[in-house]
Amino acid sequence: MWHVLIVEDDPLMRDFFADSLSRSDQLHLLASVGTVAEAFGYLHASAPVVDVLLVDLGLPDGNGLDVIRFACQRHPACEPLVISMFGDEDNVLASIEAGALGYIHKDAVPGDIAQTILDMKAGASPISPMIARRVLAKYRAIHTAPTVAAPEAEALPLAPSAHPATKERAMLSAREQDVLVLIERGFSYNEIARLRAVSVHTVQTHIKSLYSKLAVHSRSEAVFEATRMGLLPRS
Amino acid sequence: MRLAWNFSRVVQRAVVGGRLFLWLWLALACGGLHAQPQTLTQAQATVTVRGVSVQKAVVLPYVWDSQHKGAPGQASFKLTFDLPQLPSEPWGLYVQRMGNAYDIRLNGDLLEQGGDLQRFNQGDAGHMPRLLNIPQSVLSLHNTLSVFIRADAGRHGGLSRLVVGPVDEIQPMYRQAHLWLSTGTLLVTGFSLVVGLVAMALWATQVQVGLDGRVRREPLYLYAALAELAWSLRVVNGHIESPPLPWPWWGVPPVVALGAWGVFMVFFCLELTGWRRTLLVVGFRRWLVLLLVLGPVAAIWALGWGQPLILTLWYGALGASFLAFGLWFVVYAARLAGMQQRLVALAVATNVLVGLRDLYVFRIDPAYPSNSLLYYTSVLFGLTLGYVVIERFREVSAQARELMGSLTSRVAERERELNSSYQRLELLAREQARASERTRILRDMHDGVGSHISTAIRQLQSGCARDEDVLQTLRDSMDQLKLTIDAMHLPHGDVTAMLANLRYRLEPRFAASDVALQWAVDLLVPVQRLDGLAMRHLQFMVFEALSNVLQHARAVWLRIEADQVPQGVRIRIVDSGQGFDVGLPPRKGLASMRERASAIGAQLTVTSAMGRTVVEISIPRG
Repeated sequence: MWHVLIVEDDPLMRDFFADSLSRSDQLHLLASVGTVAEAFGYLHASAPVVDVLLVDLGLPDGNGLDVIRFACQRHPACEPLVISMFGDEDNVLASIEAGALGYIHKDAVPGDIAQTILDMKAGASPISPMIARRVLAKYRAIHTAPTVAAPEAEALPLAPSAHPATKERAMLSAREQDVLVLIERGFSYNEIARLRAVSVHTVQTHIKSLYSKLAVHSRSEAVFEATRMGLLPRS
Repeated sequence: MRLAWNFSRVVQRAVVGGRLFLWLWLALACGGLHAQPQTLTQAQATVTVRGVSVQKAVVLPYVWDSQHKGAPGQASFKLTFDLPQLPSEPWGLYVQRMGNAYDIRLNGDLLEQGGDLQRFNQGDAGHMPRLLNIPQSVLSLHNTLSVFIRADAGRHGGLSRLVVGPVDEIQPMYRQAHLWLSTGTLLVTGFSLVVGLVAMALWATQVQVGLDGRVRREPLYLYAALAELAWSLRVVNGHIESPPLPWPWWGVPPVVALGAWGVFMVFFCLELTGWRRTLLVVGFRRWLVLLLVLGPVAAIWALGWGQPLILTLWYGALGASFLAFGLWFVVYAARLAGMQQRLVALAVATNVLVGLRDLYVFRIDPAYPSNSLLYYTSVLFGLTLGYVVIERFREVSAQARELMGSLTSRVAERERELNSSYQRLELLAREQARASERTRILRDMHDGVGSHISTAIRQLQSGCARDEDVLQTLRDSMDQLKLTIDAMHLPHGDVTAMLANLRYRLEPRFAASDVALQWAVDLLVPVQRLDGLAMRHLQFMVFEALSNVLQHARAVWLRIEADQVPQGVRIRIVDSGQGFDVGLPPRKGLASMRERASAIGAQLTVTSAMGRTVVEISIPRG
């Protein structure tokens, strides 16, 4: 049984999501709130552990990305899902970097919503070819940057080599890279599993680990930048 | 300037020295205790001109050219002097000028001989002052000095005053004369030579190539060079005892050199004024050139045919011309011109005045001149000339630097202009891109969301539409909206990315249908010419084809193919559905696809039969 918190300012949508959750007996709605402040209050009180956070980005008193970051910090087991109108790459990428592990379209059918949450908890995160392309382009640029002394054949670095603490965790493995390239070309998880002779679950694991790495990288990049700019003390 | 200063100092010293000498002489004469120098001016002379000898008493100096105009001859002078007692110290004899050849004896003993006494028009041994030592044994209480000379016509021959006395006392007189006549003139020669050669080098090397490709040199440098080189020849002449040409021919070069010096100086000054083209200046230049050409004629006439007046007149004409020019130039410089011209005007004025003084002293006054002052004042000219040449060179260099600077700034200015026009172009391109983006979005809203919403409204208004149909219409509308947003991020020309994204967006529909999707999309090289609008057209065409299959074809499978062909990229949507008659008038969707295909220069081919319908879009690269 997964405990779900909904953060959505539109009451109709809130009800719709609550209704969708109730279709699965594996999902339990903890609460549904409409503002960042309420979400922070609930997460702060945190009596029961929040397993899933369903959050809209455009909230009346702030950005859903802040709720995602706070949730990840307070409830390390929490897996946030973003409610997105269009699933456009800018918003999705920003959410992933904040710590989200997937996203749900507002126009999805109720059954799909519950299924997406369960898939995510089972280890599957969706990724669009556009996002895959953006991720690959970004880290190819880092890979070819002159600051990287010895480019490794097997992996792409996700963080500048000047920041060794996160270097290992931030690496994109060769297999992950390969999966990303195939997604970029439009292949489905099933097709990729068939092409690479692995299980679909393995492909899904690669994607999910990629999500975590993107969030970690984004955080370490921010810390690294902040330290470099003198905002944080050098330890 | 230093030399001029030295000159005045030496004159001062000479005056002071002269006074001292006079006082000393008087003291010695009165006291009779010491032997004193004696200046000998009275002589008995035997003068032979053209075979006729005349005996007479003469007073020295005996200036041959004024006594025997234009005639060569010989003369013997006898001078006597007495001593109260025989001196114990060494005695000597100082002679400023004696020649052109001479033989001098004291009490019958030869003191010195110079040049050939018998052959006229040979070397000139009389240029330099002389100090002769008198052996003790030759002196007696009553002494007779015999001087025999050969004098050529117009060659400054004759005999100056003689001074006998203790060597210690007459040596300063000799030294002073020697300093001015020998060392001084050598220095002047060297100085003129250096200035002349430097100016000549500048003239030869500082060339400017005009727009017509002709090489131009600065005539100012050339005139300076010619004037100074001519002057060095004139001055060094005094040191040449054995000239390469016999007299009177050797009389010509110094005359011409003096003329050339003056004429080129005037040319130099005229260049400084910059008034080359005026009628007066052109006329004056021609007059000077004529004078210069007449110089050798006058010299030969005067020296060879015994008509010194001709040369005097020539000198006079030259002097008058220079005087007139000098006055004009001084007025010009004082009123109009700058520092360079004023300095030159000062030199011109000084030299013209000194030149006139020399003209009088050498050609008119019968007395023997000690020296030509022009030799020394000419240095002023050389100095100002050197100053002007250097200043002019500096100005030209500065102009060149300025030119380089202005060129650099013009290049920078041009660069700025280019930059700003580039920025304008970029702005224009951005404007164009924005306009094209607006067109695309408007078209999308019209054909996509707008069209779907109006369909939904009609469906609801009709009252007989099923919920499923309205829902489908609205889902189409939502999908179109998502595709419109995605199209904004699609890389231009990347057909693979476009197809992959379309598949991803339509995945729920594929999943909902019973159609099995086959994916055969190669990694394609982007078609660079497809911009955002073209990508959106292409996306719309594929979307339309897929929608048709999902909604109408009743297919079991659907294959999306994309591959590289020689002409470009080929996309095929193949389905196993029931097909349709491609001969019938096209439905709205198909008509729109054709329209978009032609808009992006792609070819749309539709073939359909039962069980196999192929929609092929060929996109050429070029």
